[in-house]
Amino acid sequence: MQSLLEFLSNNWSEVQFAAQAHFLLVLYSVGIASVISIAAAMLLHTSQLTPRSWSRAVRANSRETLLLMSSAALTIPSLALFGLLQPLLGLGVVTSIVGLTIYGIYPVLRNTVAGLSAVEPAVLEAARGMGMGPLRRMVRVQFPLAWPVILSGVRVAVLIMISIAVVAAIVDGPGFGQFLLDGLVRLGGAGSLEQVLTGTFGCLVVAAAYEVIFVLVRRVTTPRGIRV
Amino acid sequence: MSEPTESPPAGRSGQPDRPMIALEGVSKTYPKQQRPAVATLDLEVPEGAIVMLIGPSGCGKTTTLKMMNRLIEPTTGRIVLDGEDVTAVNADQLRRRIGYVIQQVGLFPHLNVADNVAVVPKMLGWDRNRITARVEELLYLVGLEPKDFRDRYPRQLSGGQQQRVGVARGLAADPPVMLMDEPFGAIDPITRDRLQDEFLVLQQQIAKTICFVTHDLDEAVKLGDRIAVFGPGGQLRQYDTPDEVLTNPADDYVAEFVGSGAAVRRLSLLELSRLELDQVAVAGGGPGPANGHPVLVVDDSGRPTAWQHLPGLAEPPPLVTVPLSGTVYDAVDVMLDGRTPVVAVVDDDRQPRGLLRWDALVGDLRTKGRRTR
Repeated sequence: MQSLLEFLSNNWSEVQFAAQAHFLLVLYSVGIASVISIAAAMLLHTSQLTPRSWSRAVRANSRETLLLMSSAALTIPSLALFGLLQPLLGLGVVTSIVGLTIYGIYPVLRNTVAGLSAVEPAVLEAARGMGMGPLRRMVRVQFPLAWPVILSGVRVAVLIMISIAVVAAIVDGPGFGQFLLDGLVRLGGAGSLEQVLTGTFGCLVVAAAYEVIFVLVRRVTTPRGIRV
Repeated sequence: MSEPTESPPAGRSGQPDRPMIALEGVSKTYPKQQRPAVATLDLEVPEGAIVMLIGPSGCGKTTTLKMMNRLIEPTTGRIVLDGEDVTAVNADQLRRRIGYVIQQVGLFPHLNVADNVAVVPKMLGWDRNRITARVEELLYLVGLEPKDFRDRYPRQLSGGQQQRVGVARGLAADPPVMLMDEPFGAIDPITRDRLQDEFLVLQQQIAKTICFVTHDLDEAVKLGDRIAVFGPGGQLRQYDTPDEVLTNPADDYVAEFVGSGAAVRRLSLLELSRLELDQVAVAGGGPGPANGHPVLVVDDSGRPTAWQHLPGLAEPPPLVTVPLSGTVYDAVDVMLDGRTPVVAVVDDDRQPRGLLRWDALVGDLRTKGRRTR
């Protein structure tokens, strides 16, 4: 314990930097993954935004295909994925973000599709009967009602990304991965255990920070009528 | 709901024959199906009338309703709204001109009552003050105190209250036409009955042209100015007043559909004010047992309190009364309830206006003039 505190105070600026980097790495990857998945799910749920020839069945099938692909991507071992990306994109931040984004798509897409599909048919029929077009129905009705479900998908993605981000260290990614990797490689050496512990607890701290943020975002963005 | 205004609704007096909605040769066949969901249909809905579309499940009544605002596009034919062919106009624009109320209500859970009602006015670009005023007016009209209900969310309302908001939302932009798809179908019988009564009072004020899908014959008879009976295969079998449908079913199918209860149902269409009632005399009002007329004992303000004399009955039965504004059905109800073969009919001030005998019900009921309902 004594030595851990000593390690922290000796390396405080590196620890601080790693925490920020870890937080931002997750933020960017999940942000990009969310934009991609939410946009894809909304497009495929709205009849006017896809080509005219795309029937309801075609759109539903494309949704399922996307889900299947993104879930398959999630099963690729992270070590392997980063290893495969490295020859293509080289080392560093970009490779890390691309890898994490691939992992982040499935949870967000899954929840967005589920949330949009879960909107009561009666609500949508009423909207249509009142003269709301497809786009307006999506933006004013379907999306706000699906939002809590979408948000919880984003939250799951964040939690998964925080731990996978550690592996990004093998392609020189930023964050606590560096500490863990270093420590594990020379385990038994001086200060190696402290490095591993710092990396582990660091991830927990980042996760806690995100949880606090999610509670606030959820409060602010959920319409009052559907708050539970 | 508030008091009805004095002016009579247009459909019941004004120009009853001007169609507000006309379906001309309209039919619907779904893709990959042989038989049409709605066979070629001509239907005119007069301005200001309530037309009830009724029939068993799968008879095409809801499809017909949804073709009126083109939620379902007809396979053939023309839809004419207020003289304008709307078969090919922008469907969303069209729907904003037609109120739409459905059984499951479909209020937007994330919006409060006021915002739910304001949806169509907002799309039509009304200014804020006009919308606020309209929302107040409508909530008041459907019997929800605006200051109590405006800011509530749908999940904080009972089923009946939700449907009131649903009706207010349908009326929001003051459309001349309302389409209602079993609006009271999912509501408990007591509340449903009250909503139906209120709906009739409301219609007297707003005088909309209303198409109303139901599978409940009692509801159709109670609310409808006209009833359209649909049969299997989406065929319109009869389109007439409730009285006609019950009295003269067009064919065996309609006869079977209106069923054995038709005679009893018809009683509720017959208002006491239209009957030639037997005369009654008032005790002390003239000499002796007034020319063989029945005699009533009245109190100081002229209200009947008991029978003094009833010709043909040695022992006068207990007095029961029914208001003149009621129907024969109400009269039968109080007679059965009071176990008496005769009922005194009283007006709004509870002054005696005549009497109705049980015998007359099974005999010939004499009516004066045309039905005015």
